[in-house]
Amino acid sequence: MDRLVRTILFAAVCGSAVVVAAQAQEAPRGDAANGKRLYLANYCYTCHGRVGQGGAYNGPAPALAKTAMPYEGLVGQTRNPSNDMPGYSAQVLPDQELADIYAYLQSLPGPSDPKGVALLKD
Amino acid sequence: MPKRRNEPDSHRRNFLKGAGLAGAAALSPIAAGAQVSAPKQDLKAPAPGSKQIAVETLPPIKDLINQTSSGGDFMVDVLKTLDIDYLAMNCASAFRGIHESFINYGKNTKPEILTCPHEEIAVHMAQGYAKIEGQPMAMMCHGTVGLQHASMALYNAWCDRVPVYVMIGNIIEGDKRAPGVEWVHSAIDPAAIVRDFVKWDDQPASLQHFAESAVRAYKVATTPPMGPVLLSLDAELQENPVADAETLRIPKLARVVPPVGDAGALADAAKMLVAAENPVIICDRLARTPAGMARLVELAETLQCAVVDNAGRMNFPSRHPLNHSFRRSVISQADVILAIEMNDPFGSLHAFSDRIARSTRSTTKKGAKIITLGLRDTYLKANYQDFGRYQEADLAIAGDGEASLALLSEAVKRLVDDSRKAAYEVRGKKLAAARQAMVEQSKSDATVGWDASPITTARMCAEVYAQIKDEDWSMVGTSIRLSWPHRLWNFDKSYRWNGVSGGAGVGYNLPASLGAALANKRHGRFTVSFGGDGDFMFAPGTLWTAAHHRIPMLYIIQNNRAYHQELMYLTAMAARRSRGIENAHIGTTLTDPNIDFATVARGFGVHGEGPIADPKDLAPALTRAVAAVKAGQTAVVDVVTDPR
Repeated sequence: MDRLVRTILFAAVCGSAVVVAAQAQEAPRGDAANGKRLYLANYCYTCHGRVGQGGAYNGPAPALAKTAMPYEGLVGQTRNPSNDMPGYSAQVLPDQELADIYAYLQSLPGPSDPKGVALLKD
Repeated sequence: MPKRRNEPDSHRRNFLKGAGLAGAAALSPIAAGAQVSAPKQDLKAPAPGSKQIAVETLPPIKDLINQTSSGGDFMVDVLKTLDIDYLAMNCASAFRGIHESFINYGKNTKPEILTCPHEEIAVHMAQGYAKIEGQPMAMMCHGTVGLQHASMALYNAWCDRVPVYVMIGNIIEGDKRAPGVEWVHSAIDPAAIVRDFVKWDDQPASLQHFAESAVRAYKVATTPPMGPVLLSLDAELQENPVADAETLRIPKLARVVPPVGDAGALADAAKMLVAAENPVIICDRLARTPAGMARLVELAETLQCAVVDNAGRMNFPSRHPLNHSFRRSVISQADVILAIEMNDPFGSLHAFSDRIARSTRSTTKKGAKIITLGLRDTYLKANYQDFGRYQEADLAIAGDGEASLALLSEAVKRLVDDSRKAAYEVRGKKLAAARQAMVEQSKSDATVGWDASPITTARMCAEVYAQIKDEDWSMVGTSIRLSWPHRLWNFDKSYRWNGVSGGAGVGYNLPASLGAALANKRHGRFTVSFGGDGDFMFAPGTLWTAAHHRIPMLYIIQNNRAYHQELMYLTAMAARRSRGIENAHIGTTLTDPNIDFATVARGFGVHGEGPIADPKDLAPALTRAVAAVKAGQTAVVDVVTDPR
């Protein structure tokens, strides 16, 4: 249980660090529909959720829906992850496929104001 | 070794048996081709005459049919003095003697038998029960095959530091075993397979020996650090008449007062904590009783310091402004860390990298002082490595955490003057604000995918909380890495939570939750538990026990149709080797066919809802399930969720 709680926070911190460190750069054109297929087929959803809501592996896996992370940050994290996230080589997940996945993530609705969700008021 | 007590002429009878066998051999026709060369003078008994053969072929004259006393009855008398409420078991011939005594002589009360269709269920029920009720449950099983079934659950209880009072049946004397099954079901040392993870065991050789060992076992199990104990009960002792009733005596049980840490050492700890700029308390299996949480709150509020609760027990209120369990960055900022009843302090104070070259790094500030308080190190065993990596400390205090907290708090209070109080208040306000920001972030995170199907775990937990928050609820189980309840629910009472499996042995959650639900039932509490589909499949028969014994519980299956943690590990391995991950589902998923848990539940006689994959359908299903629980049933709700 301690590892559970501890790693949740660790990954949240790492996720933020990636956002900050990555250079803003325009993403190559991606196909969101194909990106969704690839996101599911490559099991990204197993840690980050089918709709990018986040989840956990050894530690927390940050939410990716409408991520503020630039495309270059996604590539960096995928090729050389900063925590226990598996690294995916270009051989397994080429750059164009990553671009498609990025397009899919950007197409997802991000977080909303929890005050508008009755069940989250208490 | 005990002797049969219902046959005053047993020696003669056995002698005649031996002679009879020798005689029969002498009279038998010789098999064709057999080489017979033994000279007559080597025979140890003369060939029997016709009278002797007649004696051997008729029932023994003095083989008694009935008995008016039994060792099993005496054992029940002894066990009743221990005030044990329940005995969870799967029936077995090896303890038929004491089983009959429990139900007829003992009238199936104190303890009352809980029928469990698997020994693992029985042990896990006892584990979950003890963590809510604060008292051990007994369990009983066959000495060989039954104990083998029970062993994984015993390992969980051992790692979780929970007392379970285990009894097994055995037939010690070879000449008393019936041919066949009784031989394969007997052992010289049946406890050997679990000795690495029980605190103490014995195989009493007489009824007086049993009486003393039974009381000792209870005392050992319930003395911190607690753990399971085991008594092997010889069938002869259980079944046969009591020959020496007038000499038997049941010893008195004196419960051990848990040891408090040395007063001088606690005073030193108080000085360090009071002088610290950012002290942090981290704890795991701390609270043994309701007093544990109250004492930790008192110490934290006196110091206005952050508490990181690893949730091995219900240690600290989840919504307390000083609860920073989900803001572990406080650990890296601490200059003094007080670690109480931590099973693995190293693991909590270091980050681990699961890479090709595995590595760790400290997450504490350079120069931070570490104080450990607890009894974990006072009882270790060597084989199973449940103690974690060695953690250096600046002050290590051996003492029960809960018992020592009162003294520590008093020592701290004596040192806190007005100027310190003012500084502490400022610290407390900063911590409260940081915690509130974390809560708001968690709520925002929970909104992502709110209406998605499969249902997000955040939505599932929010829907469940909405249905139970006005009940006197007790959450007694969770699936792997499901943290939403602890992040957002209001755990404010000592029974709101009871920890996790201990040994991470899958199959704990459903039966342990039922044991906890049994404890909650007598207090009128509403029991809720989450569990994975993989865990459920290890011991689904638990539901029959729930129905049979009328134990109410709301059980939510987080059905991600996989052993999902393993699926992710396999994905990581395949990715590491750049081989693609499309095969990672092989051996890790529970699909084709999908399991219909609601139908399974109904088959065992409990209420079943689901599978529910659309979040809109969840609230009505939960409403029906909650009504069933309030009517006294267990209700299973199968929620098809996203993996995590």
